[in-house]
Amino acid sequence: MKTADHTSDQGVIFETKALNVFYGEFRAVRDIDLQVRANEITALIGPSGCGKSTVLRTLNRMNDLIPNARVEGVVRYNGEDLYDPDVDPVEVRRRIGMVFQKPNPFPKTIYENVAFGPRIARLDGDLDVIVEESLRKAALWDEVKDKLHEPALALSGGQQQRLCIARAIATSPDVVLMDEPASALDPIATLRIEELMLELKQDYTIVVVTHNMQQAARVSDRTAFFSVEVGDGGRRTGKLVEFDLTERIFTSPSQKETEDYITGRFG
Amino acid sequence: MSDRRSHFHRELAELEAELMGVAERAERMIGEAVRAVVEDTPALADAVIAQDDEIDRIYLAIHDRWLELMARQQPMGSDLRLMSAILVLNATLERMGDQCVNISKMAKVVHGLPRSQQILTELQEMADLVRPMVRTAMDAFVRRDVPTALTLPEMDEPVDRLNRQMYRRVVECGPRKEQLEWATRMMMVARALERIGDQAVDVAEQVVFLATGEFREFGDTAGTGEHG
Ligand SMILES: Nc1ncnc2c1ncn2[C@@H]1O[C@H](COP(=O)(O)OP(=O)(O)OP(=O)(O)O)[C@@H](O)[C@H]1O
Ligand SMILES: [Mg+2]
Repeated sequence: MKTADHTSDQGVIFETKALNVFYGEFRAVRDIDLQVRANEITALIGPSGCGKSTVLRTLNRMNDLIPNARVEGVVRYNGEDLYDPDVDPVEVRRRIGMVFQKPNPFPKTIYENVAFGPRIARLDGDLDVIVEESLRKAALWDEVKDKLHEPALALSGGQQQRLCIARAIATSPDVVLMDEPASALDPIATLRIEELMLELKQDYTIVVVTHNMQQAARVSDRTAFFSVEVGDGGRRTGKLVEFDLTERIFTSPSQKETEDYITGRFG
Repeated sequence: MSDRRSHFHRELAELEAELMGVAERAERMIGEAVRAVVEDTPALADAVIAQDDEIDRIYLAIHDRWLELMARQQPMGSDLRLMSAILVLNATLERMGDQCVNISKMAKVVHGLPRSQQILTELQEMADLVRPMVRTAMDAFVRRDVPTALTLPEMDEPVDRLNRQMYRRVVECGPRKEQLEWATRMMMVARALERIGDQAVDVAEQVVFLATGEFREFGDTAGTGEHG
């Protein structure tokens, strides 16, 4: 793997070292060394099946919820081992929120969707205030302030996704992980999500998986390019090919594999 | 390996080929413009000026196609660098054509004036240095050949030197008004040829950028002496 030299440890919030993830006997990704910096948007790109979602899920221990998923190697979060037996995975997921590809609001009111997390986590503070602030940060407040107690599922897809972002930030996380957050949305709703990401990075660190290279180019500060290595017996293992400033990745990547992928000469 | 963007890559290759065509024209025009000066043939100068209209037309066509490709294809990586280089080269070659027009205009206004063989010899020498520069830079472009591109500043040195000493040649021409007028115009011709040399160096800079992703100006490698 090629990592840019013009990096320092400053502001590193996540660090993976020799990270391997298995589903049963199957090794999904091999030896991932990745650094995520605070208040940046880090994009994970690469062909389908290269393990982007798998790597993303290791960052908030979502893999714990998948039967027979196993993580080897180190994931450090603010310098501490995220997989230490003393670490509470529920607390991890409060501090490291997640937004998925398909907007998945609960079949409840808009208000309840946002209030759910803080209530469970017994966060201090006025719930009404938390809900309003979260919806404002998610650039949704003006559109829903008069119908907070109406069903969330009545919102448009783009609004639902912003609601999910509001829900993710309502528990005051440090990090928001996003797995193809705009792939189910139309271009305008997509741009709104991208604008929102750029706003949110003032307060949060964002790691986003996207199939849309232009999206990675538009929003991210750094880009990690993953690909698949086909081994003996057709075993397909994901690996990190190159990790660098987004500008470098899309104008002059150092690895031929990256170059072939971004110019469409691959396969 | 398959190319998932073969249509786009074919269009890019076509654009590059068109650019090569412009470069060949420009190179030919340099030779003809200087010949119009040396042989004092205004008709040839007119022909060069007419050819430049064709370069301008192709320049606009390439620009339109470039813009369309950019909007439709949103290139990345080496494709993006090639697009960037094509835009710069297109403008650079168009300006070479303009310099040939400048030389041709000089050829026309000095028609019939008394001449200096020394100056004409040196102008011909400059043209003979500059034309291979254009060809070499474009060859390096086609082949993405960095070592060849890096030879351009060296090729440019004698051109700069000849241009700088043209001032002294003009002074040496003596006090006669008509001779002085002719020689002053010849200084403009030398200046145009010197600019074309610089433009060939600009092309070479783009080759390095295209091949490596690093853009740097080669800078003025010419020594200090011989100013004026
Ligand atoms: N729950 C699971 N059980 C078994 N194998 C899995 C599971 N999730 C993912 N995999 C396998 O792990 C590999 C990586 O999958 P992952 O979903 O992380 O890739 P991805 O890069 O996110 O792909 P996509 O772009 O299609 O979302 C694939 O071979 C996939 O089939
Ligand atoms: Mg995925």
